[in-house]
Amino acid sequence: MQEKPNIILISADSLRANHLGCYGYPLPTSPSIDRFACQGTLFENNFAPAIPTQPSHTTIFTGQHAITHGVVAHGGKAKLGRGTPFLPEILLGEGYTTCAVDTLFRERIWFGRGWEYIIDPSLHHTFYASVTQEELNAGAIRWIETVPKGPFFMFIHYWDVHYPYTPPDRMRGLFYKGGNPTDPNNHALDEWWDHPVGAMARDTWLRTSNGLVTDPNYVTALYDREIRYLDDGIAALCDALEKQGIAENTLIMLLADHGESMTDHRIFYDHYGLHDCCVRVPMIVRWPAGNLRAGSRYAPFRQLSDVTPTLLEAAGSELPEDLDGQSFLPQLTGQEEPSGYDKIVGLESTWQSKYYLRTDRYKFILARYPDLLGNPDRELFDLAADPNEDHNIASSEPQIAAEMEKELEAFIAQKMEAAGRTEDPVRKEGPVAVEIWEQHRG
Amino acid sequence: MQQQPQKNSVPDPAKPAETGTPDASSEPEQVIRPEDEALVVERLRELGYIE
Repeated sequence: MQEKPNIILISADSLRANHLGCYGYPLPTSPSIDRFACQGTLFENNFAPAIPTQPSHTTIFTGQHAITHGVVAHGGKAKLGRGTPFLPEILLGEGYTTCAVDTLFRERIWFGRGWEYIIDPSLHHTFYASVTQEELNAGAIRWIETVPKGPFFMFIHYWDVHYPYTPPDRMRGLFYKGGNPTDPNNHALDEWWDHPVGAMARDTWLRTSNGLVTDPNYVTALYDREIRYLDDGIAALCDALEKQGIAENTLIMLLADHGESMTDHRIFYDHYGLHDCCVRVPMIVRWPAGNLRAGSRYAPFRQLSDVTPTLLEAAGSELPEDLDGQSFLPQLTGQEEPSGYDKIVGLESTWQSKYYLRTDRYKFILARYPDLLGNPDRELFDLAADPNEDHNIASSEPQIAAEMEKELEAFIAQKMEAAGRTEDPVRKEGPVAVEIWEQHRG
Repeated sequence: MQQQPQKNSVPDPAKPAETGTPDASSEPEQVIRPEDEALVVERLRELGYIE
């Protein structure tokens, strides 16, 4: 067997952790992913330090915090510096054959760095996120079966769970408890139409043979059906590795770039807001030859900037000095006890411009610009008493809020100084999509 | 902190998926028109979400 492992990094865009069975969801959305988790290590507290897609994937591939690499918004002005370490580029230099089954390079050029092969079946679609797991798997499996002669690194980016939620017809009937999905007297989604993405949904994929979908539970069921469909794809990919006889020494890391808000916090079926539904993301690692304890669960805080150092260490590569993330490989393989961060700092600057500081007990959210939902600039949640982050206690616990704000600002200042920045990148970028939202509402 | 064994509360992968509705065919069908994908692209492009 070759010494270096093959590495497959799977990103399931918009996959919310607690809609998977292995993360406690009561509906059977993910039998194959649950089985996969039983064969590897599941991270219970893994966080996205930047959302949504472009900032998060930039963090995944650079091992840097977004304040360091500067890409804080989806569709923002910032570009990734050419000298920034980039995972596929480093692995290519280490002798890996690299292949992206992905679309991201079409939107931001740095996502094309380091790939010897790019497979992009989304070219057959008008909207790239309409590409299905079956199309991606067809390209990925064919490549795995025919191309690599030594260790390979493959990145597969599944879009099924991302809106529009249009699961295949064979999923019809799953996960909806009944009722009338198109009841004209149900106005629970009306507020969503005030958002450009909601209006887009209303005008396209929420149309049915009985009229417009009005029941949020039905939209959630469509989302869950997409997870179930993706789950089939994960099973097919794992089966193909078995058939090829390479599953043993292939490290598979399955994660999400961000989660999804269903209707939480008046954010409808989208991925903004820095609540746990969006920033606490699934991550599962399986590597049979790596002596991972099957079915283990990893509780300490980890974050997506740890992906690059961990995968580099698994590949036997030297780590660049300018990474913010830390490898968890020694903990994963049992050489060290599981450990992690005592706090996570994250950000967004697309629909809102905000930072969060999360500890085991509290979440503090600080806005750089007022948000269009009318939330206060400072929010504090006691996660022990209020895990869904429904009750802002910043006014009733001013001392805790002030201490967390001070700690957050110190972290931002320290990261900016280390990166040689004179301006806060979130303040500089601003909420890049908000003008359109304002126009839409106006 | 120690690694914990997989919780027993994980749903049985062999269990058939819950359907909720007695008859899936009674559910309305999503009507996706050919032009809808282009409309999604147009709207997301306006937002700067895609190039």
